[in-house]
Amino acid sequence: MRKTSWETLTTKYPALFSTILLIVALLINFYLQPNMFARETLNSNMRVFLPLVLLAVGQAFVILGGGIDISVGGIVSIVNTILAVYVGLNGSIEKVWLFIALSIFAGILCGAINGFFIAVLRLQPIITTYATSFLYGGLALFILPNPGGGIPQRVAEFYRTTTPLGIPLAFYVIAILLIIWRYVRSTQYGSYLYAVGGKAEAAYETAVPVTWIHFSTYVISGFMSALAGIAITMLSGSGNAEIGSPMTLTAITAVVIGGTALSGGVGGITGPIMGALTLGIIQNIISFAHINTWWETFVKATIIVVALAAPGLINLFGRRKS
Amino acid sequence: MSATLSAQHVVKRYGGVVALSDANLDIHSGEILALIGANGSGKSTMSKVINGVVDLDGGQLLLDGKPVRITSPQTAKKLGISTVFQELSLIPQMSIADNIWLTREPLKSFKVINRKLLNQKTEELLALFEGTLRTKLKPDLPVSALSPDEKQVIEILKAISINPWLVILDEATASLDSRQVERLFELVRHWKAEGKAIIFVSHRMEEIFRIADRFSVLRNGKTVGDGNIKDITEKELIQLMIERENVVQFTKASSESESQVQASPVYLEVENLHTDTLHGVSFEVHEGELVGIGGLRGQGQRDLLLSIFGDIPYRGNIKIKGESIQFHHPKDAIKQGIALVPGERAREGLLYIRTILENLLLPTWNKYGFPLKIKKAKEDATRIGERLNLVMASLMDPVSSLSGGNAQKVVIGKWLLRNPQCYLLDDPTKGVDVNTKSEFYTLLTNLSKEGKTILFYSSDDDELVGLCDRVLVLHDGVIRAELKGATLTKENLIAASLGVSNGGEA
Repeated sequence: MRKTSWETLTTKYPALFSTILLIVALLINFYLQPNMFARETLNSNMRVFLPLVLLAVGQAFVILGGGIDISVGGIVSIVNTILAVYVGLNGSIEKVWLFIALSIFAGILCGAINGFFIAVLRLQPIITTYATSFLYGGLALFILPNPGGGIPQRVAEFYRTTTPLGIPLAFYVIAILLIIWRYVRSTQYGSYLYAVGGKAEAAYETAVPVTWIHFSTYVISGFMSALAGIAITMLSGSGNAEIGSPMTLTAITAVVIGGTALSGGVGGITGPIMGALTLGIIQNIISFAHINTWWETFVKATIIVVALAAPGLINLFGRRKS
Repeated sequence: MSATLSAQHVVKRYGGVVALSDANLDIHSGEILALIGANGSGKSTMSKVINGVVDLDGGQLLLDGKPVRITSPQTAKKLGISTVFQELSLIPQMSIADNIWLTREPLKSFKVINRKLLNQKTEELLALFEGTLRTKLKPDLPVSALSPDEKQVIEILKAISINPWLVILDEATASLDSRQVERLFELVRHWKAEGKAIIFVSHRMEEIFRIADRFSVLRNGKTVGDGNIKDITEKELIQLMIERENVVQFTKASSESESQVQASPVYLEVENLHTDTLHGVSFEVHEGELVGIGGLRGQGQRDLLLSIFGDIPYRGNIKIKGESIQFHHPKDAIKQGIALVPGERAREGLLYIRTILENLLLPTWNKYGFPLKIKKAKEDATRIGERLNLVMASLMDPVSSLSGGNAQKVVIGKWLLRNPQCYLLDDPTKGVDVNTKSEFYTLLTNLSKEGKTILFYSSDDDELVGLCDRVLVLHDGVIRAELKGATLTKENLIAASLGVSNGGEA
């Protein structure tokens, strides 16, 4: 029963593959950039990785629940343009807080729209969010047709340079995410999430509120996309309506290599966080190795294909051997 | 606690199809009611009406004399009605404990699930079946890692965990082995003594007579009889189910000519076959022989058939007509004239949403050229349909419109056009009504008379004893006994299945 033991292993340790990949990527990066663990270098890396980490966590909730959210990039763009246009380079701190709150609300609203179509009207997740991704991306272009605008220098600096106790800000954020996840996982909601993603029909027969769980995952994804949008705005300091769109596939890749099955019901957020970090490091490696940037897309695509094929390949070899 | 549930003149329509036209049923606590009927008679619909999966179109349900509406599984649960679903309601990726207690997890403060208590409560439930499960199951094992009988046990435990007053067991024994059935019956008797009511839906007459107090027979959506089990005989019950006098008759194809079969050349030879579940199996099958494979469920019967069919990897030697073969893919086996008829027809045998025509001709389409000669294909399919006595509105209807028995006929029918030399049958009569079963038996004996080699695994002991020339009994992955002639009796078969004797083998 080779298949069963592989299944048992990946069900028990969903982050196994991403841990191995992360360590390999770290070693290569360390070889190319020996000072990577210095405080400054580490921080400058982590602040770049953080938006993707946030996005991957939101995406992981949706995929765990058996769906997929292709509109996350659009939501990131909306948040970025709202902040860049309405706060502006000389905005007051009050204004910053006001529009951060407003953009989080916008993210949740976008998620709720996805959730309404998918959970309540029972439309296909992939088609629905593909469509809304254009809606959200278009709205961002409407708010800010040409790149520009920005946020006050102070706010950007806070994000870029805060390292309490010598540890980059991003690590604190990740720690908080993991603590919250641990809690969520141990509640009834966590159980429902896995049940719905695993086999929605059986969950319904067992009286699990399937519609509500589906809806909630898109709202969570919208919320996390808004946080990612805030983070990337503080990182770049300026606005660009196209900023989010390349992040969607990367976030999904992070979730998949993080051992969270696209079919739902298997995995967690630890794997996707490590997956996001791995993808960030790979980007580093590519820039340090002086390779053409188009290799980056190639490598990312290769990883997603390999990650999807790995369980199948292991089974195939198992079959051939006996 | 004492309660009564009555269903009166229940009507249920699915689109234009009337599933129930006048169904009646009474059940009191402390009583076991057998709900009996051929396939398509409305048994499943009746249990779905009671457990709230479907809402009725006419008639009414009375709980303790008062009308109730059960509109969802949740409502049924609140009324203390719990169901063991035939097509399990378990989530494969989740653990045993999570599955059993889903939505009813014990909580600590901050809504955190109390894992320790959860596991402890699960252990208590698992203890009910202790000794009948292959390994000692841990509450945190994912359900996907379990065998079908273990999944069925978990489904039963899940249903009983809400402490209902009424339990509906819908074909709950179909995938259990005989020890597990024994244990289930002990528990059912215990529940009855506690004052629970049990509705027992099953095709297995022997079980009904062992466990039930009363019966209620459905035929074409109508209740045609009820009463006390002790006042009726098996034959009378079957007559109620099938209208005309047509009790299953077994006729052995070659019983009069056993020596003749032995004289015919050996078709299939299996030497020292090993897979994950088989540990050294060797036997021979002659042309025109109908050989049964018996034993408890999950003793490697399925692996044996699938290895021969080239569907799973194995070690050992398989010879066909004296030539060593090594199939890597079912298509190799099909080319050699081997056909597999799976019992899991929905999953392995049929494309449910496609038409009967397409399904019947699936292995044969390449014979109809390009562009396809549809007219010829339809003629051939019609002939097969007639030969099998297939009850259908049109060849162009989807297979999903057929009843279980007729769908199974399509599974075997799709091979007939290829005229294979060897049939591998994997529990083909599972969930098939009595009428279709007897037609199926006739077909098998005819094929056998034509000189076809048949390897027939069945979980129904009567079938094996009544139909086969020879039965190989598997136990723990080896052949425990080979029964034939005078030693081929039900007692010997059961004894060998349980591994308690060599089944009277010389």
